[in-house]
Amino acid sequence: MSWTGEFARRIRMLLHRRQFDVDLEEEMRLHLELRQEQQMESGMPAGAARSAAQRKFGNATRIREKSHMTWGWEWFESLVQDVSYGARSMLRSPALTIVALLSLALGIGANTAIFSLLDAVMLRSLPVKNPSQLVLLGTGTSWGTSDSFPSNTDIYSYPFYREMQKKNEVFSDVAAILSMRNVIHGTVEGRDGAEPMNVQLVSGTYFSMLGVPALMGRALTDEDDKNEGGHPVAVVSYAWWKRSLAQDPSVLNKRLKIGSTLFSIVGVAPPEFFGTQVGDSSDIWIPLSMMKDVPPNQQGYNDNFSESLYLMGRLKPGVSMAQATSNVNLIYQQIMRGLSGPNVTQTNLEKLPSTQVPLMSMATGLSSLRREFSDPLKILMVVVALVLLIACANIANLLLARSTARARELAVRQALGAGRMRLIRQLLTESLLLAMVGGALGVGFASVANRLLLHMVSGGMETVPLDVSINMRLLLFTLAITVITAVLFGTIPAFRATKLQLTDALKDGRGPQGAGAKSPLAKALVISQVALSLVLLVGAGLFLRSLVNLTNVDTGFNKENVLRLHTDPSSVGYKENDPRLTALYQQIEERVSALPGVRAASYSSFTFHEGSWNNNVVVAGYNADQNVDVKHNVVGNGYFAAMQIPLLAGRTFGTHDTATSQKVAIIGEHMARTMFPKVNPIGHHYRIGSLDSPEIEVIGIVKDVKFKSLQEKPVTLDYVPYTQHPGYLQDFEVRYTGDFSTISTAVQQTIHGVDRNLPITRVTTLNEQVARSITNQRLVAQLSMFFGLLAVFLSCIGIYGLMSYVVARRTNEIGIRMALGAERSHVRWLVMREIVLLVGVGIAIGVPITMAGSRLVSNMLFGLRGNDPVSLVASVGILLLVAVMAGYLPARRASRVDPMEALRYE
Amino acid sequence: MNRDEIPPGTLYLLILKTLALRGELHGYQIADSIQRSSDDVLQVEEGSLYPALQRMLIKGWVTAEWGTTAGNRRARYYTLTAAGRKQLSVEVSQFERVIGAITRVIQTV
Repeated sequence: MSWTGEFARRIRMLLHRRQFDVDLEEEMRLHLELRQEQQMESGMPAGAARSAAQRKFGNATRIREKSHMTWGWEWFESLVQDVSYGARSMLRSPALTIVALLSLALGIGANTAIFSLLDAVMLRSLPVKNPSQLVLLGTGTSWGTSDSFPSNTDIYSYPFYREMQKKNEVFSDVAAILSMRNVIHGTVEGRDGAEPMNVQLVSGTYFSMLGVPALMGRALTDEDDKNEGGHPVAVVSYAWWKRSLAQDPSVLNKRLKIGSTLFSIVGVAPPEFFGTQVGDSSDIWIPLSMMKDVPPNQQGYNDNFSESLYLMGRLKPGVSMAQATSNVNLIYQQIMRGLSGPNVTQTNLEKLPSTQVPLMSMATGLSSLRREFSDPLKILMVVVALVLLIACANIANLLLARSTARARELAVRQALGAGRMRLIRQLLTESLLLAMVGGALGVGFASVANRLLLHMVSGGMETVPLDVSINMRLLLFTLAITVITAVLFGTIPAFRATKLQLTDALKDGRGPQGAGAKSPLAKALVISQVALSLVLLVGAGLFLRSLVNLTNVDTGFNKENVLRLHTDPSSVGYKENDPRLTALYQQIEERVSALPGVRAASYSSFTFHEGSWNNNVVVAGYNADQNVDVKHNVVGNGYFAAMQIPLLAGRTFGTHDTATSQKVAIIGEHMARTMFPKVNPIGHHYRIGSLDSPEIEVIGIVKDVKFKSLQEKPVTLDYVPYTQHPGYLQDFEVRYTGDFSTISTAVQQTIHGVDRNLPITRVTTLNEQVARSITNQRLVAQLSMFFGLLAVFLSCIGIYGLMSYVVARRTNEIGIRMALGAERSHVRWLVMREIVLLVGVGIAIGVPITMAGSRLVSNMLFGLRGNDPVSLVASVGILLLVAVMAGYLPARRASRVDPMEALRYE
Repeated sequence: MNRDEIPPGTLYLLILKTLALRGELHGYQIADSIQRSSDDVLQVEEGSLYPALQRMLIKGWVTAEWGTTAGNRRARYYTLTAAGRKQLSVEVSQFERVIGAITRVIQTV
């Protein structure tokens, strides 16, 4: 009780400090007067009485101070004093302050922005219960549908999921999700017009395993997953509910038409839940039991060999990863051995014992974004940290220069009794103030830069749904680096500034000692700036050249002047394998080809960087490893013309290749070489999948193309006509001449002329699509170039500042030299020599650091190695040039010195 | 006249007791009272009274109010609170304990 009362009294005193001082003053004055009167009563004269009274009283000032201090606010008051003093002195030298604040804002802001991206992509845990208990079977790198045996350890079949759920001993719950997102167009019942929906097929246990309760209604349950086709229910995300239904409170009564089935909305997920893929928010979750009804209508619910699910589990309390791994592998072997089917051959069975299922923690969710951007983000984090260091060195130098100017003021204060620590505390407070203001500006800068970064990461399509807004964690991070920055650039100048020979400093504030002591430190700072700038410049050069190499890769097809878009027949009533699809595609191709400016048009399942349909292929006489991944592309007759892929032998598909004629295929060069090594493949036959599949005749060979990425080695690829393999095809490409937007409008109108309701999405060019596949390389190259130039710019300022100072200090000496006959050019050379020496040392130190650093990033480069000499030489050249430019002005100033003035300069 | 210094920490004891005996006093009166009660033996550096009074105000052992003296001047009068009375007895017993111990040591010789 008394404690709170005491605290309240102290607070009250804090608020009424001035009144307190006045009161105390009056009280003490009264005391002295009364004492004086008393002395006078005993006969002393007035003057002596007063002195006696004062002697008896004691040191009034000291007593006042002690009384003040008992209230305990001295630390606070001196802090406020320091801060306001610091603010005033900052305002007194506006140029220095602005430069410092700008460098800080850029440095701290850049760090915060990159960290926010890093945090969102790599560090943040899923917003679910106890994310650290979640594990994924496999690595999460493969996705799609496979039928291999032993199964790919990343993706599994539905029956396998059920078996794992039953038999395992280490998971309290197991869930499965389709490894692909279904982007379809569905209709909200009662509304006109389809809208795009990201549908994620999940097992009934998904929400309960994650521990995510529904915000409204209910989540999916295992019951919803029990029998195929019997549970047309869906849970929607909060974001989708807000976006598409405007938070309509009657959402639970609504139904969605997807494909040809009506799904009832049974629940809304909580606002922070977006699914388990970071960077890939789902709109709607539907149980796997309905997979046949959601386009593309997969049939694998009961198929042991339709492997397309990610499996995840929640570890039971006390179970370690090692235990879980061994148990999972045990059951994997059991389940696999129990299977029988065409793929269960002797060769494959032999591979089974050595197949290992790795377990991966899923605390931060799955993310293809993370795989793509993990290394670039780490590199960028290092880059911005280096930039901040360079900025700190600049500010340290600025403060050192200013402290020389303040030497006199500090000497006076020390002479008056201020302790050295007290002064250091004040200088550090000023540094902290500077850093805080810079940090606040940096946060502002970061919140703008964040959006720009996200845009760059999205590579030009819809913005990736990452939350990079400023949050608590980010602010704490910013605060931490702000304080570290302040300590870095403030400590040494503070200590330096207070180490004074008082008499010298008081005499003229510019004793030789203070000036001399500064120079080596300042030079060391500038040298380190140059070294770091070299590292950043070389890095930027490497990434830039790597990017250029990538953009010059021969893709095999001609990526110029090709329009491409997606159409979604599933949402207008076409089922997978609907025979009308072939007619639809053909009609669209015909009509579009007839447009003026269109040279060729074709449908296909893939064009570039879109995934693949992999299947093994059986070639008579080729002792194929049954798990050779042959990629298949289902295309239209005009595909090779549209993509301008050169035909090397044989013919392309034509009108006589119909559903009933001989099944045909065109193969790529690499496939021809590897699977038909000594013969002309044309005319030969093979089968896709198994020996029961129909025989396919090779009718042509085309040039190899890049299929998934620009860096890939040649792939085994074949093409089959869609007339013989009906199904959904997502891509439509059109080779055109002329203006893109005119053609685009014309093509879209034509398509709508065939089917008015067919949704068209992702209208873009092939060029853009190829460019998008190297988004992360572009991000790194652009940003490292920007920061590299920024670093050089900051170093320039550092060099300029130092040189100006050095010239000012040596004015005397220069004057003497010129009086003794030195030429102006000689003086200029003197100064330049100093600069070149400085930069030379910096470069010499920087080169080995650069070499070491570039070895770390060599695996991110394409077409060049880490110790690429061109980048190194170019960067050294740029640095020298820039340094010379920075130093030129001070050099010129030195040569302009009037000897008489200089000699008088004391 | 050489007056003996008071042992450190006993200033609070003296002030509390003075206020307990005399009720409302201002600073000068407290100093005077202590001096007279001790038969002029104790020399209190009068200034040190004020920081001590401040501390007692913080702790809530006394309260202060502005009033007028007999000579029609403004002075701050201090009064003991209930907490102050309790503190007084605590300090007295502590003091007696210390003095008792010292006395025993001296007497044993």
